[in-house]
Amino acid sequence: MNALPSPTQTGGSTLWEEMRARGVSRRDFLSFCAWMGALMGLESSGAAQIAKALETKRRLPIVWLHFQECTCCSESFIRSSHPIVADILLDRVSLDYTETLQAAAGFQAEECMQRTMKESYGKYLLMVEGSVPLGTDGAYCCIGGRSAHEILKEAAAGAMAVVAWGNCASAGCVQAARPNPTEATPIHKLVAGKPVINVQGCPPIAEVMAGVVVHLLAFDRIPQLDSLGRPKAFYSRRVHDTCYRRPNYDAGLFVESFDDDNARKGYCLYKMGCKGPTTYNSCGVIRWNNGVSYPIQSGHGCLGCSEAGFWDAGSFYNRLASFPGFGIEMTADKIGLAVGAAAVAGVAVHAVMTNIRKHGDIGEHPGEAPDDVDPTNTPKP
Amino acid sequence: MSTRIVVDPVTRIEGHLRIEAEVKDGRIVDAWSAGTMVRGIEIILKGRDPRDAWAFAERVCGVCTTVHALASVRSVEDALGTVIPPNAELIRNLMFCAQYMQDHVVHFYHLHALDWVDVVSALKADPAEASRIAQSLSDWPKSSPGYFSDLQKRLTTFVESGQLGIFANAYWGHPAYKLPPAVNLIGVAHYLEALEWQKEMVKVHTIFGGKNPHPNYLVGGVPCAINIDEANALNAERLAFVGRLFEQGRRFVEQVYIPDLLAVAPYYLDWTEVGGGVKNYMAYGDLPTNGFADVARFKFPRGVVLDRDLSKVHPVDPHDPDGIREEVSHSWYSYRGGDGKGLHPWDGETEFNYTGPKPPYEHLTVDGKYSWLKTPRWKGHAMEVGPLARLLVGYASGNGEIKEAVTETLAALKAPPSVLFSTLGRTAARGIETRLVARWATEFYDQLIANIRNGDTRTFTRTSWEPSSWPSTARGVGATEAPRGALAHWLVIKDRRIENYQLVVPSTWNASPRDASGQRSPYEASLIGTPVHDPKQPLEILRTIHSFDPCLACAVH
Amino acid sequence: MPQSPLHTFRRVYVWEIPVRFFHWINALCIFVLAATGMIIAHPPAFVQASEASFSYWFGEVRFIHFVTAYVFVFNFAVRIYWGFVGNRYADWKNFLPLRRAQFREVAAVMRVDVLQERGTPVHAVGHNAVAYFTYFAMFLVFLFQVASGFAMYSAMSTSWFPNLFAWITPLFGDEYALRQWHYAATWFFLIFTVVHVYLVFYHDYVEGHGVMSSMVGGWKFLDSRVDETGRPADGKSWFGATRHTPPPDHPS
Ligand code: HEM
Ligand code: HEM
Ligand code: NFV
Ligand code: SF4
Ligand code: SF4
Ligand code: F3S
Ligand SMILES: [Mg+2]
Repeated sequence: MNALPSPTQTGGSTLWEEMRARGVSRRDFLSFCAWMGALMGLESSGAAQIAKALETKRRLPIVWLHFQECTCCSESFIRSSHPIVADILLDRVSLDYTETLQAAAGFQAEECMQRTMKESYGKYLLMVEGSVPLGTDGAYCCIGGRSAHEILKEAAAGAMAVVAWGNCASAGCVQAARPNPTEATPIHKLVAGKPVINVQGCPPIAEVMAGVVVHLLAFDRIPQLDSLGRPKAFYSRRVHDTCYRRPNYDAGLFVESFDDDNARKGYCLYKMGCKGPTTYNSCGVIRWNNGVSYPIQSGHGCLGCSEAGFWDAGSFYNRLASFPGFGIEMTADKIGLAVGAAAVAGVAVHAVMTNIRKHGDIGEHPGEAPDDVDPTNTPKP
Repeated sequence: MSTRIVVDPVTRIEGHLRIEAEVKDGRIVDAWSAGTMVRGIEIILKGRDPRDAWAFAERVCGVCTTVHALASVRSVEDALGTVIPPNAELIRNLMFCAQYMQDHVVHFYHLHALDWVDVVSALKADPAEASRIAQSLSDWPKSSPGYFSDLQKRLTTFVESGQLGIFANAYWGHPAYKLPPAVNLIGVAHYLEALEWQKEMVKVHTIFGGKNPHPNYLVGGVPCAINIDEANALNAERLAFVGRLFEQGRRFVEQVYIPDLLAVAPYYLDWTEVGGGVKNYMAYGDLPTNGFADVARFKFPRGVVLDRDLSKVHPVDPHDPDGIREEVSHSWYSYRGGDGKGLHPWDGETEFNYTGPKPPYEHLTVDGKYSWLKTPRWKGHAMEVGPLARLLVGYASGNGEIKEAVTETLAALKAPPSVLFSTLGRTAARGIETRLVARWATEFYDQLIANIRNGDTRTFTRTSWEPSSWPSTARGVGATEAPRGALAHWLVIKDRRIENYQLVVPSTWNASPRDASGQRSPYEASLIGTPVHDPKQPLEILRTIHSFDPCLACAVH
Repeated sequence: MPQSPLHTFRRVYVWEIPVRFFHWINALCIFVLAATGMIIAHPPAFVQASEASFSYWFGEVRFIHFVTAYVFVFNFAVRIYWGFVGNRYADWKNFLPLRRAQFREVAAVMRVDVLQERGTPVHAVGHNAVAYFTYFAMFLVFLFQVASGFAMYSAMSTSWFPNLFAWITPLFGDEYALRQWHYAATWFFLIFTVVHVYLVFYHDYVEGHGVMSSMVGGWKFLDSRVDETGRPADGKSWFGATRHTPPPDHPS
């Protein structure tokens, strides 16, 4: 089911031919393939495989839809640090439809999409940024007078696979946070019978986005996914396990307040609410914007932005916070302490009562039976 | 006979904008601007911890990322009376400047340029000619004939492949394109260079906020701690990196962006006569140099210019209950007290009430409600906000730096100030302010280094961090100048939770539907009189609308 | 209606060695797990002149938590095994609330322990029905704690055992949610222990059957008129059946 139909394609040249035409040297090309391979955690043979694939494969048409989103996934995408990524992915992998960048507008833009869906039926990749609102017949998100849901269904029908960019498309992100007023719904819940790749994050790291695209181009099949549909190559490690502040965590050296001495020493942000211990993403490894930094390195805890529902997981500054069903104020500690106090009080009262009510039952001397109890007395049914 | 044109989706913007326009005798006689996507972030923010709000608010938009986070933390600080340390303010200013530089350059090259630059015409250019023009414009090194001829070859292969990708099906060859082929070729070259450049500029955010898009903010300061000797903090190396990024950024702005703007503008001077819009301009001002309370010392002044009268600046106060109000008479919302009356954002309400046609639809019912944007008004006036408004307010306030920058540019174009009230004026204003901001960034940077050198490394004020220290109710406003204009968040805190949260966003001011009295907002007003050569090719509509740099995710939220 | 002021007790061997070992190892594990768990949840701020490379105390706390977790699991496995091969008191069937007689006993225990009625003692030789059921609930929480703990642990471990539990995380949404529940369950143990220890003392004090020491030595002391199933030694049954034809639903 992971295998995708090969994009035999509408004439044209291979990716490598096009890159060469654009002035990319063989050496740069190979170094690009190696970089991609490393990024995807492939063995060194992986890089060769990528190179071979890019040398022989025809290029892939892409339809990139925008629904309920903030467009930061597109923004992140254009931050891909390798120049070749921008070159080949942006305008050479046939981005046939993307509202943010395409020159045509209105019905001319829609024509571009229709043409790809028709001419490359079954051979194009569908990329979706944003969630789909199901409320009010879809009126919460319309493009060209049609609802996002309609457009998605139509575009998914002929797609070979669907890439759900970011938390919006993978899990609904901020608009799906309580009370989700528009019934914002992630893509995988609406597309049946097609592989959906959840490239998580708010937004995903540019290199991760590039890596997923190159994987699809190079191998004709979707990458291995975790149980939540995220590519394993990028989402199998916790931020916490790859965090360079980890030695501080193990040593119990914690920031106790923003900008305290510990913060200036770069101690662990666990007590500032860091969600790194429960968040699966590559931030600690790839970092952001060509490896310059990542949230923790710049002093703020991880928000958990690659996890579904991270908006409703309590305050960003508490590690464990609100408890489902008990309202936002209630933490497990508050509930536990209350019940615990009740238990202790109950026990104390009971002990006092026992001494009063059962005084007569309690034998005073060894071998003495309770004075007024017949052990063979039948308890009332 | 008039024709109704619908442009939906309007592309090369952020978000989902629909324009319906009535064209008669080759000119637009009426227009309606509609936002067609909503998320309800104001509803979602209710009941949350005010200290978390910035992260939710920031996700309103990934294009002007950071500005909503900034407005949000300021609103909480305003409510709680928190004064942030000088370094935190400088770092926020630096992030602000980096955002302007990146966002404005991306707008100019990637969202707006294709309205003026004909990509296909560049194929016919003489690379030597392009080189000559480029060298006459600036010292930018990538300007040799070889550079341009290589580029042209690549472009030719690309076009001949028949698959034009993002350039497909556009309006190439439209008679409204006026640039000579060589200038078009320069435009295409810089489109690609700017794409490379922008991802460098945002590294300023990555250093201070950990990532871009969506860097981290903090109520009470900034999250990054300063320690020049520590590998794990904002240290000497990181600070030097920031300095380098601003230097490189400024070079691109001064040697590529501004020269291109000045090279293109003279071919399109007819666009100084259209697209004027509502004639009223508003700015909240920003870039504090002495704390946010000292409005007089903002780099961008605060105020309102009414009816293009540059001799007077009216004061504007977001706290004033009679100043800013939002209406919903043409928006898909309802107010408990009736839709006729505007509400100050502290009392604002967000209750969906979709009355439009059931999708799929051909036309919106423009007599009734027709957009997900609310309609903000200042004392009943429609206001344009954005780079042009900032410059006009600055100019009218007699701000020396701004006046000088404007005058300089106008002199280069040999044009009077009145040309600013137009489509092209808006586009030029964006360039002028980018250059100012690039210069100011250097001042802020030097100040930050000086503070640190003097031993001040504070970046956070803890005084009002703990909710137990808060009053049971509090209200605040966080104002800023987003790249697209005046932005503010209004916040009401009750029992340590958000009771009400309302955003009034630059694109809300500009792109909103008309108000109860029928007054048009800037997009609709500016389209009137715009020529349309071919109703099937709405290039001219795109020019005027793009001159505002629309962001609909922002506008609706 | 006193029968005789003096009468004899018989000793009944109730808790075999594996049950006693299980109990005390288990109690110790839970103490350690709850203590280390709470430190993991709320690490204290130790003031120390420090470089991360000189210290590893937090890592050690977690290490103890994980090692104890293994002991806890296998100790628990022993008890489950003993539920099948041990004596009648240890039998797994006692723990499942399946029979009417058990519920009648629950009602009786409630009357005696909670309403503090007098004169109708409940003769349970093993645990009484309320205790069995509570322990059963407790065992379910054990299972949850093991499952959630090892599911979380699978993320940091390559060994096969924790990875048997990896599939559990998505059932709870994500690891964050799972951690919340793991944490909440800790409170359950803390509260259980308070009540449990109290009740043990209470029964010992009121009934004088040596309940307390039975978890150490294995023996309980029963009225000589009661046999080792808790029924009258004279053959009359409190539940209406004779000792020679025990009700089919009674474990023996
Ligand atoms: C009665 C038994 C147990 C109790 C009371 C207990 C308690 C706790 C508590 C309170 C935490 C801290 C949660 C937080 O704040 O994040 C914790 C964490 C944890 N526990 Fe347990 N636990 C028990 C059994 C287990 C078992 C059987 C395992 C199996 C491996 C386990 C594995 C873990 C793990 C992996 C963590 C997360 C530690 C970290 O990532 O730092 N626990 N436990
Ligand atoms: C000072 C501490 C403790 C004492 C004195 C104690 C004593 C006892 C006694 C006397 C029994 C037998 C009760 C009867 O016959 O009905 C018992 C059973 C039991 N206790 Fe405790 N206990 C202690 C702590 C704990 C703790 C901390 C736990 C777990 C959280 C625990 C779990 C159990 C369980 C599960 C049983 C049933 C054992 C079985 O049937 O296998 N105990 N305890
Ligand atoms: N309008 C708007 Fe924004 C900006 N600039 C924000 O406030 O773009 Ni997304
Ligand atoms: S996932 Fe986050 S970054 Fe991407 S569009 Fe949604 S809100 Fe923006
Ligand atoms: S900063 Fe966060 S991710 Fe890093 S070690 Fe500490 S808790 Fe883990
Ligand atoms: S907030 Fe997101 S960007 Fe990385 S460090 Fe955390 S997953
Ligand atoms: Mg609003």
